[in-house]
Amino acid sequence: MEDCPLQVTHLGKVFRRRLGLSSFKAVDSVDFRMSGGEIMGFLGPNGAGKTTTIKCILGLLKPFSGSITLWGEHPGSAKVRRRIGYVPENPDYEDLFTPLELLTMFASMRRLDTGRDRMMAILSRVGLSSWETVRLKNFSKGMRQRVSLALALQSEPDLLIMDEPTGGLDPTARKEFRDIILEENERGASVFLSSHLLSEVETVCRRAVILARGKKVVEGDMEELLRTEDRYSIRYRLAHGGIEEEKEVEVGEESLQSSIDDLRSRGVFIIRIAPVYRSLEDVFLSATGGGGE
Amino acid sequence: MRPVMTFALMTLRSLLRRRTIWGISIVILIALVGIGQVPGYGVSNQGRFMLDFGLFGLEIGTLLLAIGLASNIYPRDRERKTVMPIIAVPLSRGQYLMGRFVGAALVQAAAMLAGCLGLMVILMLNEHAIPPDLFPATGLLIVEGWFLLAVVFFFSFWTSPPLNAPLTILLFIVSQMSVSGFVGLLPTAPGIMRTLRLLLPHMDVFHIKDPIAHGMDVPGLYFLLAMVYGLSYMVFMLAVALAVFRKRDLK
Amino acid sequence: MRNVLTFAAILLISACRTDYDIEEVATAEFLGQDHVHADSCETCGEETTEVEHDHPEGEHVHDPAGSDRHIHEAGVRNHGTEWFFNQPWAADFIWGKMVRDSVILVLLATGLIILSGYRRKNR
Repeated sequence: MEDCPLQVTHLGKVFRRRLGLSSFKAVDSVDFRMSGGEIMGFLGPNGAGKTTTIKCILGLLKPFSGSITLWGEHPGSAKVRRRIGYVPENPDYEDLFTPLELLTMFASMRRLDTGRDRMMAILSRVGLSSWETVRLKNFSKGMRQRVSLALALQSEPDLLIMDEPTGGLDPTARKEFRDIILEENERGASVFLSSHLLSEVETVCRRAVILARGKKVVEGDMEELLRTEDRYSIRYRLAHGGIEEEKEVEVGEESLQSSIDDLRSRGVFIIRIAPVYRSLEDVFLSATGGGGE
Repeated sequence: MRPVMTFALMTLRSLLRRRTIWGISIVILIALVGIGQVPGYGVSNQGRFMLDFGLFGLEIGTLLLAIGLASNIYPRDRERKTVMPIIAVPLSRGQYLMGRFVGAALVQAAAMLAGCLGLMVILMLNEHAIPPDLFPATGLLIVEGWFLLAVVFFFSFWTSPPLNAPLTILLFIVSQMSVSGFVGLLPTAPGIMRTLRLLLPHMDVFHIKDPIAHGMDVPGLYFLLAMVYGLSYMVFMLAVALAVFRKRDLK
Repeated sequence: MRNVLTFAAILLISACRTDYDIEEVATAEFLGQDHVHADSCETCGEETTEVEHDHPEGEHVHDPAGSDRHIHEAGVRNHGTEWFFNQPWAADFIWGKMVRDSVILVLLATGLIILSGYRRKNR
């Protein structure tokens, strides 16, 4: 079970409305599995059930059906909580505290070292080293996100669960967040990243799950998802009249060999043959039907 | 224990940094000054009135403090979603409840002690004797305040803050009624009323201002038993609150 | 199962008697109901014209001014003071009930904590 930080099996979540007269199915029979050391992207339009799934994983919501295990354990158990770092969507901590106070108190609650040097090192890592004594009420949304990341990182978690972590961040900060995610992954942590920013997921994730209307519509390795089924691009160099020119042609798998033979027969120098990749946005739009609920 | 105590201190600091506690302190201070102005129909009567009003003020103060301190803690955490990262990672639901409760209980106890000391100062300034039972009586009122805090936490897990206060006040009032008095509220259904009264606490055990104001000795054993009763009811209310909280989905 | 437990709990609660009402459970001696109305005072044998409660010896003295009024010692149950004395601090016969209830409440709390924890773990 150590190699499976997260397994979700036939997860369903139904919210009952007032007096139980009506209900709303937020998540419908979703299943996926994460491997150890993996960065998994979790995508879907608004209302697809991403945050609901994450809350079930964290034990904040009771699943209506199905099961969730983290390293084979029940979500919310003390053993599991010790190994998790969580970056919530729009974090809002007690704003009467400073980041240093919050970090120290959270470290104490987690029975970690509360030394000031260690806290300052974490704050410095998320770019808040000069803000340690300023109360959170004076912080922007992006700075609160940084505090949230610092709190998640302080225990060196084995699984980092991030729900829209870069929502309110500027491009520079987003890049810093991405770097931290990759650093954490290099350290050995698995990362479960829910995001609307497809470019971000495309850059850092090795696998992705896409939800739409509460159901899983796509799951797979990023390479597989982005790769078109049978299209290849051939990049070649053409020389005529003493002038060299680089060109690229896209062909189907069935005509790949004949195209190569044809180019060679014309004395063309072939630089590269590579499969054609789609953007994650194309994959997302085709999987979700092009929009939200 | 360390996570609970850290969270309790975090709650304590948070409550002290909010304006609510200072508002309540000012009200207590004004009440004490008011008690100092009680006219005396003879010296012994003035001391008796001061004690009577003072202890009555502390009784009402402990109720208002419990509501003021705790009715908004969980709803605020839930509304601002502060509760999610806390429960998702460092604390269990039980630890969250205990931490919040202990933090509020420390503020409550400190405020009650301050009120008791204030009453002592008023008595001394007016040259009245301080009855030795004033300290155990304050202890009993602190226990009562903790019990009320547990009640407020219980209500806060399934109702809104505007409903929490009237429900707590209602419980505070009916829990001091005798069985016959309670049955008298609905004499047509004595069986139901008796069963209902059986489930409600007997908060009249906390109120001993009358004998203290009249200079009568209350046995130490009574203070002890009443405190044990209050603490047991507090534990029970916290257990009920925890059972409700454990069932709740944090959307 | 849950319905059976709820029904059992309701039955159990209904079977319990409310025994905290001091007026209901106190002995006649505590309530002072053994005091009969008398036309004379046993303390001093003086004839009185007004109907008044009889009191044990030494609990009251006659008004030195010679009126029909008499004065009671502080802290002694007398006319119209039932509200004052029918309170738990003065009724030591219900103190045992506080201990009994404390034990029941702690047991119930322990059961509730274990049960809700078990349900949460297995949900």
